[in-house]
Amino acid sequence: MCGVCGCADTANEVTMTDLASGKTSLLRKGMAHLNDHVDAHDHPHNHDHSHPHSHSDGHSHTHPHDHAHGHDHHHRHPHSHDDGHSHTHPHDHLHPHAHGNDHHHAHGSDQRVVALEAAILGKNDAIAARNRGWFEGRGVLALNFVSSPGSGKTALLEATIRALKDKVSINVIEGDQMTSNDAIRIREAGAPAIQINTGAGCHLEADMVAEAVKSLDPKPGSILMIENVGNLVCPAMFDLGEAMKVAVISTTEGEDKPLKYPHMFRAVQIVIINKMDLAKHVDFDESACRANIASVNPNAEIIGLSARTGQNLSDWTSRLEKMLSDFRL
Amino acid sequence: MHELGMARSIAGIIGEHAQGRPVKAVRVAIGPLACIERQALAFCWDIVTDKTGLAGASLGFIEAEGDTFTVREFEFRED
Repeated sequence: MCGVCGCADTANEVTMTDLASGKTSLLRKGMAHLNDHVDAHDHPHNHDHSHPHSHSDGHSHTHPHDHAHGHDHHHRHPHSHDDGHSHTHPHDHLHPHAHGNDHHHAHGSDQRVVALEAAILGKNDAIAARNRGWFEGRGVLALNFVSSPGSGKTALLEATIRALKDKVSINVIEGDQMTSNDAIRIREAGAPAIQINTGAGCHLEADMVAEAVKSLDPKPGSILMIENVGNLVCPAMFDLGEAMKVAVISTTEGEDKPLKYPHMFRAVQIVIINKMDLAKHVDFDESACRANIASVNPNAEIIGLSARTGQNLSDWTSRLEKMLSDFRL
Repeated sequence: MHELGMARSIAGIIGEHAQGRPVKAVRVAIGPLACIERQALAFCWDIVTDKTGLAGASLGFIEAEGDTFTVREFEFRED
């Protein structure tokens, strides 16, 4: 394990389990940055060597001679003087490139400030764009479901699959830190499911979806439901290539979740208020909740339902069917 | 704690562009909707760059619009 940041800690592994075959594969060993920032994350090692070295007067010495290029190489060069005197050369080279004879020195007329404007999430966004193109080309409606843990995302997906399985092909990608519990539930409801375990990760990323889609191989005209890790913060930042994000909140969470987590509610197009069957028991004020959603995202569609009892479930499933037919046009 | 991943991503981008030359400062542009907690990012930056070629490079913030989240620029150290 890497002692600097724990990047090779097994808790940081990302795995994918295909419930059809029971096969689990490793998507990321430790953390992705093991491959990402090799340059910026040196595991210290030394290249110290010295060369045999003699002078006409018979004495010998060594010259400290440091090259700084990411990691340190201390070279001691053969060196002789005709007059027999001795000295040491502090001699530091800064190499922009790892090796070679051309020494670019980091001073003089070199540009000091480099303008980059590089998107920090650029790698994820590029893979998400590729996913999106693939989904559109194949006619697969991909939806990214986000919520806090326990709002009933999996229950909603199960109810949706049971309601639509004779009409629409549905595949599911389940994201959780640990366990395949949710993917097992989805499979029992009648849809192929891939479980991604993000380990220490708090959200799904586009490359994980790309891998899962390779295994699921969704048919043209089908729906891909991606259940993100239960978290109302980070998943808002990571585009997976979905056609839209759908937020699920439940009556037991209180009316003010949209105000507390505005980034997430701003990123979605549909908000489902789940557990409406419990609303009266927990004094849930539906109109206040709707007003709160509208205050952070005036364009969000809001559907109140109960995945458990099936109350108003058809509002959602018919909306989903319409979305699919619009998408295929 | 997605700021840890973000700090790694910034270090990766700078590592790629600096090519081993010592870096004095990195400046990232962050918009109000970027969902990035600056203190958390600065904290993670120090952890991620510690004992690496980027150790000691400062991380600065530039106000930006919307959900902007980019490495705006970086500055080499003159030795």
